[in-house]
Amino acid sequence: MNYNKPEKDFTLYGETFSSRFLLGTALYASPQLMRDSIIQSRCEIVTLGLRRQNPANRDGDAIWQFIQESGCRLLPNTAGCKSVKEAVTLAEMSREIFNTDWIKLEVIGDDYNLQPDPFGLVEASEILIKKGFKVLPYCTDDLILCKRLLDVGCEVLMPWGAPIGTGQGLLNRYNLRTLRERIKDVPMIIDAGLGAPSQAAEAMEMGFDGILLNTAVAKALNPPMMAEAFGDAIDSGRKAYKAGLMQKRQTASPSTPTIGQPFWHQQ
Amino acid sequence: MTNHKFPQTIAIAGAGLLGRLLAWQLQRAGINITLFEAGSFTPDAPQSLRAAAFTAAGMVAPLSEAVVSDEGVYRMGIFALQQWPTWIAQLPANETPLFFNNGSLVVAHQQDTSELDQFERELGFILPGCKGYQHVNQHEIHQLEPDLHSNFHSGIFLREEGHVNNREFLRLIGVELLKLGTTIREFTSVEALPGKIVTDSSEEHFDLVIDCRGLGAKKQLRNLRGVRGETLHVETKEIHLRRPVRLMHPRYQLYVVPKPNNRFIIGATQIESEDRTPVTLQSSLELSSALYTLSPAFAEARIIEMDTNLRPAFMDNLPKVTIVDGLITANGLFRHGYLLAPAVVENVLAHIFKKTDPVFSALLNHH
Repeated sequence: MNYNKPEKDFTLYGETFSSRFLLGTALYASPQLMRDSIIQSRCEIVTLGLRRQNPANRDGDAIWQFIQESGCRLLPNTAGCKSVKEAVTLAEMSREIFNTDWIKLEVIGDDYNLQPDPFGLVEASEILIKKGFKVLPYCTDDLILCKRLLDVGCEVLMPWGAPIGTGQGLLNRYNLRTLRERIKDVPMIIDAGLGAPSQAAEAMEMGFDGILLNTAVAKALNPPMMAEAFGDAIDSGRKAYKAGLMQKRQTASPSTPTIGQPFWHQQ
Repeated sequence: MTNHKFPQTIAIAGAGLLGRLLAWQLQRAGINITLFEAGSFTPDAPQSLRAAAFTAAGMVAPLSEAVVSDEGVYRMGIFALQQWPTWIAQLPANETPLFFNNGSLVVAHQQDTSELDQFERELGFILPGCKGYQHVNQHEIHQLEPDLHSNFHSGIFLREEGHVNNREFLRLIGVELLKLGTTIREFTSVEALPGKIVTDSSEEHFDLVIDCRGLGAKKQLRNLRGVRGETLHVETKEIHLRRPVRLMHPRYQLYVVPKPNNRFIIGATQIESEDRTPVTLQSSLELSSALYTLSPAFAEARIIEMDTNLRPAFMDNLPKVTIVDGLITANGLFRHGYLLAPAVVENVLAHIFKKTDPVFSALLNHH
């Protein structure tokens, strides 16, 4: 058995990837630093937002081309959209500009913490899927919301670890475990809220299929190095999941006599 | 080329900040300058015809800008703090002050104080051991800026920062150029080639051509892009600020810069887009709500202008000066126009006057 055989089993909408890391392209001090980070991360999918760039007039072309030159698959997102209509319109525009039917769907419900609006998200997903889109929805860790998203035809789910840009890690492990246990055969990517590679590794150990993040890398003091660190942690976490973690043991109260100690001295 | 040691005729393409400064310094050195400008040369021209230098707030903020760039930008910025007063002293006496050097103040609302920590962490990483800043508490903030809202509990005071009264400076330098006899050709789009300027109708030869057209040079310069910035100008007598104040927020970092005549510029958004259309509602909300939270007294300020422009930037967001025989190209000052122009101008002048070891050569001339 080859223990180091690279995995090729991360499949999203019929496409297979060898990296389980998806990286965002916002917030870097410069485009060059962003591209260096993409390279160091070894990611194969990058997400980018168009909402504020006047996409109807293609005014973001210079930066889009630069991102495209990274060779990664582009996953346009609808960041900044607060209504179903806005998100649908922007998704259609992205499809036209980037010639892709993939969309990372965000419908923002709260302006300050950028929390997803679950109701708008389901509605927009349904509309976009009917229009032929392959929707990757940014959602909360609510089981029923995730089921509804599957009902309308999403084939990937992207529950949050914590609100966008907070770096808080996996805030609700119970919910995330429930999700993983109840929805076994749909790829689930932890999207947003992670701050440290250890948190990404933990999510992968829990059996999540991939990690999407932006701020934790872009706001690191050395973004390319942090991108590499996350890449390593995600690989590591995945490997650990596949290898099967040992069961934690309780040794506070011994169940059998300890050798070398007379049983009448044991409690 | 002529037989003279230094060029006798120089064409400068672009009458923005770099173009004006270079024309001024070279004309003062006795060189015959022709200054070409695709838009308007006068500051009161419509927005769409104005260089990015007119939209800028004129901050010279080496520390706060180092946080979004690197240590080289800091060093060039410290140089700027000395160079601006030197240049301004070369202008005829003027009633309006042109340069302010009172430091700047960075604040965040209580729920966003982690943004201040992040700012300080980045500062400490880029400039280890830097002593140019100090923490300030509520009381100290009040002493520095009595008119700020009283709910700011912590901030950072950056001593080594200033700002240029930029529109007035640009106007005065324009007057000075006319006085010195510089040939000014506005509303003339050009192509800048070694020793040659090509317009729609002519081809003119010079000993040297300096191309500082900003985004106008996009066709010639690979990887040059425009980054949209939007500003709001307001006027109120109810508030006095002694120095620029920067508000840190998870989503945006905006600053308000006090200008003479009770005016304030609040800016600037930074959007990866070459869209020069008017300010969006979203941006105006961000700009005005930032201003309002700095002090509710801004509520009755009058909005006198909203401006949009494109910052010329290379993909590393750092400036470059390239030199070939008969052509010098200076571009990519990004959001650091007034911060970096002194270093860039002195570097270009050093090359023209063939000085050994031009200033900041390692930072500017390396590509």
